[in-house]
Amino acid sequence: MRTDSQYVFGTYELSTSLKEDDIEIIVEGQGKRKQYFRRSGKDEIEKIICAEGGNLVVCPVEPVSFPQEGVAEHLLIELNKPLIIESGVKDIIFVKFPIEIGVFLVDKRDVELIDIFTKIKPKYTLYGPPESGIICRWWKSDIFDNKPSVKELYEGILKVDIANKYYEWVELTKMVFGAYDMKIFYNDSAYIHARLTILNKTIGETTFSTRRPTDMKESLDIYISRGVKKLEKKFIMEWRFK
Amino acid sequence: MIILTSLSDVLDYKIADIPLINILTFIFIILVAFAVGKIISLNIRRTLKDKVQKNTLKTLENSVYYISIIIGFIVALSQIGVSLSGLLVAGGIMGIVLGFASQTVVSNLISGIFLLIERPIEIGDGINIEGISGIVKDIKILSTTIRDYDGIYVRLPNDKVFSSTIKNYDAHGARRFTYNVGIRYRDDAEKAMKIITLLLDEHSLVLKEPSSQIFVEELGDSSVNLSIRIWAPSSVWYSIYTELLWKIKVVLEENGIEIPFPQRVVWMKDNTKK
Repeated sequence: MRTDSQYVFGTYELSTSLKEDDIEIIVEGQGKRKQYFRRSGKDEIEKIICAEGGNLVVCPVEPVSFPQEGVAEHLLIELNKPLIIESGVKDIIFVKFPIEIGVFLVDKRDVELIDIFTKIKPKYTLYGPPESGIICRWWKSDIFDNKPSVKELYEGILKVDIANKYYEWVELTKMVFGAYDMKIFYNDSAYIHARLTILNKTIGETTFSTRRPTDMKESLDIYISRGVKKLEKKFIMEWRFK
Repeated sequence: MIILTSLSDVLDYKIADIPLINILTFIFIILVAFAVGKIISLNIRRTLKDKVQKNTLKTLENSVYYISIIIGFIVALSQIGVSLSGLLVAGGIMGIVLGFASQTVVSNLISGIFLLIERPIEIGDGINIEGISGIVKDIKILSTTIRDYDGIYVRLPNDKVFSSTIKNYDAHGARRFTYNVGIRYRDDAEKAMKIITLLLDEHSLVLKEPSSQIFVEELGDSSVNLSIRIWAPSSVWYSIYTELLWKIKVVLEENGIEIPFPQRVVWMKDNTKK
């Protein structure tokens, strides 16, 4: 268990000093009562923790809590260049996705999200028509053949297995993923492995792989921490891919 | 001991002057009423399980169940020789009295059931019904409770809710709102529109799609009037609405574009000229 680190992601004792880039997380104090301090750029927060045990976990989390929780539960990745896929073809692409950073208190019985912040300015969009569409966190990315290098505190890597099961060519400029079932893994940076199955010209299905890569840890889940029941196992993209 | 030799003898057998067949029919009708009541209440539970609060649903189920049994019992009474004519006369008069007295209650009850089935509003939605705006706190079988935006408790009878025009601000994920901003005639309207577009792009909760629209709507008496149409998530639109207008004013002024006061050009007649 580390007490200090040059990377913020990880599991730490409840007396910790972390600094990376312009992020600083400090938990200090004697006995049960400890001071929690976090700075990210100009954004600062202080809390008091009363605990006899437990650990502090800092990890990338689902990017749907900023600037306000509950606005969106989906992530829409818009591709810089459209991807045109032939019928029956399977391919693997890599894109970047935005991250938010969660700070959790963890003991044997419970997980509590005590702080969440982000280094990037979020933007939201509507996927689908105004009368029935859904609000999504919006992000634009290039397509990469291999894992791209990312700014760890800003972005993560999203690997997408794409399969076009439709009998026609399909042009893809948008991919939408549900945050409820998002499985994020991390070491120094965040990683997600997802699948997009194109079912017809306008409908697709996105899911996440739950298999943890060997050198990575699984991020804690903000929805479990908030006591939200997770029912969705997949997201159906029913309003086109562009 | 009476020996019964055939089925007709059994059915003709009388207890207190009532044929056994009538007693059996009486019991059968009541059992059917129990069964029908149970089936209807089970169907109500299945249909309204996710739409109605638990205690309201239980009341509705029980009401339907017992009403079915009472109807069954009244129908069955004729089988055991109880005359319903007197009961019907008394019941008829009572029915007319109760009908007048409970007209509103029944109307509210039926409207409540239709509201729960049609679901034009849900608990937590921001709504406007006949000029009353607020958040829906509860939808009961007879009334709908709203907390208006001043925090006042408002109870609306369901027949009023059902027959009124309902505006539900949260029914759709996104909604649009509009600002009208005037700038001076000597200011560059295209520059103003670019500045406002940049400001809106910077705002996290102004939606990327559908994109905002900014255009010159009117050449007014004192100003060139811009219309700014912004899409935002329905759940947070009001905070954005209250935040952005001032920011637009500030950013325009920072760039030398001003919002003019109403003005009138007066030409004075020069009497010295001939």
